[in-house]
Amino acid sequence: MILKLNHLKVKAAATTQGVIEAVYALVEEGLIDQGQFARLQVELDWIQYKSNFREAVTATQGYNAFGQPAPIMDVHVDTRQVVPETLRGDLLRAIHRAQSGAEEDACRLPLEEFQSLRSSIVWKFNRFFWRHLLAWEAATGQGYDKALPGGSSDGHNPRAIADDVAEFLDLLCVLRSKNQLPAEVNLLEIGVGNGSRCAQWLDKFHELDQQRGTSLYPHVCFYMGDYSEDTLNKARLTVAKHIDQCRFVQVDAINPIKSLAHLRHKILQVHLTNVYDNLPDEEVVRRDGKLYFVQVRAYVPTAAVNSIGGKYGIPAELFRDRIYHMLEAGFDSFGGPQHGVPFWQELWAAMRLEERLVQLEDLPEFPFPDGLDAGKLEDILQDAPTDFRFHLSSGALESFIRTLPLLHPRGYMQVFDIFVTDLAQYRTGFFGPGKLDGSLLNWVNGALLKEVAQREGYDVHFRPFKYRANTHTSILYTTRRE
Amino acid sequence: MTLPILPTAIVGSYAMPGWLERLKTDYFARRISRHDLDEIYDAAVKAAIKDQETAGLDVITDGELRRDNMVDYFAERLPGVQIDRSSKKFYYDFYDSAVVGKLPMASMGLVQDFTFLNTFTDRVPKFCVTGPHCLTKRIRNQFYPSEEAFATDIARVMNMELKALVKAGATFIQIDEPYYSGFPEDLAWGVNVINTLVEGVDARIAVHICYGNRYGKPSWEGSYRYLFPTILKAKVQQLTLEFARRGGEDLDLFKEFNAPFELGLGVIDVKNTDIETPDMVAQHIRKALEVMPAERIHVLTDCGCFHLPRDVTFAKMKAMVEGTKIVRKELGK
Repeated sequence: MILKLNHLKVKAAATTQGVIEAVYALVEEGLIDQGQFARLQVELDWIQYKSNFREAVTATQGYNAFGQPAPIMDVHVDTRQVVPETLRGDLLRAIHRAQSGAEEDACRLPLEEFQSLRSSIVWKFNRFFWRHLLAWEAATGQGYDKALPGGSSDGHNPRAIADDVAEFLDLLCVLRSKNQLPAEVNLLEIGVGNGSRCAQWLDKFHELDQQRGTSLYPHVCFYMGDYSEDTLNKARLTVAKHIDQCRFVQVDAINPIKSLAHLRHKILQVHLTNVYDNLPDEEVVRRDGKLYFVQVRAYVPTAAVNSIGGKYGIPAELFRDRIYHMLEAGFDSFGGPQHGVPFWQELWAAMRLEERLVQLEDLPEFPFPDGLDAGKLEDILQDAPTDFRFHLSSGALESFIRTLPLLHPRGYMQVFDIFVTDLAQYRTGFFGPGKLDGSLLNWVNGALLKEVAQREGYDVHFRPFKYRANTHTSILYTTRRE
Repeated sequence: MTLPILPTAIVGSYAMPGWLERLKTDYFARRISRHDLDEIYDAAVKAAIKDQETAGLDVITDGELRRDNMVDYFAERLPGVQIDRSSKKFYYDFYDSAVVGKLPMASMGLVQDFTFLNTFTDRVPKFCVTGPHCLTKRIRNQFYPSEEAFATDIARVMNMELKALVKAGATFIQIDEPYYSGFPEDLAWGVNVINTLVEGVDARIAVHICYGNRYGKPSWEGSYRYLFPTILKAKVQQLTLEFARRGGEDLDLFKEFNAPFELGLGVIDVKNTDIETPDMVAQHIRKALEVMPAERIHVLTDCGCFHLPRDVTFAKMKAMVEGTKIVRKELGK
């Protein structure tokens, strides 16, 4: 057995001791056989999200592409949730469940087949959250940004904006001195929300432009991008006093160049805050020199099906259908959001993901995101730890790769988000998926983005977000590579 | 060998196949030998020549597939340049290279590559070299008092090489100077350096000036106006410029300054995988014909096709050839 401690939080020592004792006891009692014990890898995580998709103990069996069990099994213990008194039972149940490979389990109502995390129903819930954000906020009585660490978006930080504006104005002055300033100074923000960052940014730029007498404000063309027209309409009101400098475009965050192809090589600054951490993702496990793709299946524990179903008058046999109906049609079948939203919130809190590992080289159809293929991944992993689990950050990577061609040769892109900046970091903590209000959250594999971007001709640097203490946010900063 | 009116060609590099990129990197990682790599290069260059001929191009290059990038191939061959061979991780990165003393006169060994090209095509071969201005921007100068002095000495060494190429049968040589657009303030001495480079070289000389194509992206933006009138002093026959991506506004500069050069007219955008139609190509040529007679126009890609997929490059070349045929027909040629 290999025991891995992925954190140094409180209770680590006590829990570790408890896990070792419990596993040895199960072996001695013959409840785990010695072969199973030899290939067991137990990982102790501290899951920082109070609401997440894990049970206290989760076991994950490895498979080849033909559905035959491979000789690996991971057991994850969430040291935050675990209760010493039930640890032994939790361990035993989790291992037996994974070992038996049972498709049916009386304790769980599966909502889908095993599949890529990216295509799982949990992302339908994520989209549903953004579509029905107002209803969620009305029910909780607070804006979604209050759920963010620090209670507001780091993108709105006035000092960060002031520094950025000054840096950008310097760049424009350099370009002007070389007679290389474009007639239109294009900027793009993807995921503008209510538009308040754009408004603050333009306020500051106007002010500094006047102070320095550079007269560049009239040349500014600020493209405000969001997937939702309603959001853009709200943002339009927020930037009313800068309206002549603003353009409003519906943008798919995963494929920005699709709607902005006319701006290829013409944008001097691209900004995103907390967009990448909320884009569909996959996870990959590297074990014994092989790569395994993490497949997931969303489920609701039967106990939760019974309690939630009882409360909202939904029979267990119709529970799954009602969920899909809600995701498609909204809250009509609940008589409106008044009952529908509480059902949704309780359901989301109860929802879990079970996992299995499928060997990657047996998956020729593996949907690598744009910018990555098996060969490149192999190159990137050459210097990585030999035994670890990491995010592929598929959505973020595609978004990134499909945004970079928009950059002007002297332009830059900045992304405020939670990044894993070194692959080795994955061995020291849990990086998602977690739940944030009704949305999904994953740390972004910045190290992978960096390697892929380099092959595409861009340098990537990470700066700590110095404007708020104890933040996990860092700034990805990209420029053209020479 | 005579060329038809509106001869067609690629600027220099052909599509770099993904498998060749991996093999180049394998060579750096000491997984394959130099001998194997050279054999692979020979096969890849023959395929690039065949593709160009099949697409119908009139002037053929070797696709520059033996080159890691436009600098290192020359930095490695320039006598006296020191290279840190551990300084790059990926083949396309630049070596950390430096000049620490006066460049000695010695062969760069380019003739061998030209001869290979000339052996495997019966069309007009074009051999492309990176210009001294560009090389001084990437090779650290730790000896010469100025970039101009360094570039002039590179030109002196390369002049001997260009003469050797002519002796081996080269009739068409292209000098690539993409960094002019990033450093327009260097142009005056840059043109003097070009004249040193081509002095006594008996071949059609083209100078290719673009806005950069590193990783298939422009490095600068602006207008070709900065070239004029200084460039008129260059003792070359052809200016090869990019117009497909940037539009044809700067074509009028040739008329305004009565430029005596042939025009290498970029009609294919190499920074975009969308494939042009023959009609689009024809339109570009017609626009150029408003400022210059057909006899002085060569029809080209905007820049090298290094970063384009092979199938896209081939389709773009076919469109270029078909579009040129449309205009030749209109001209009754």
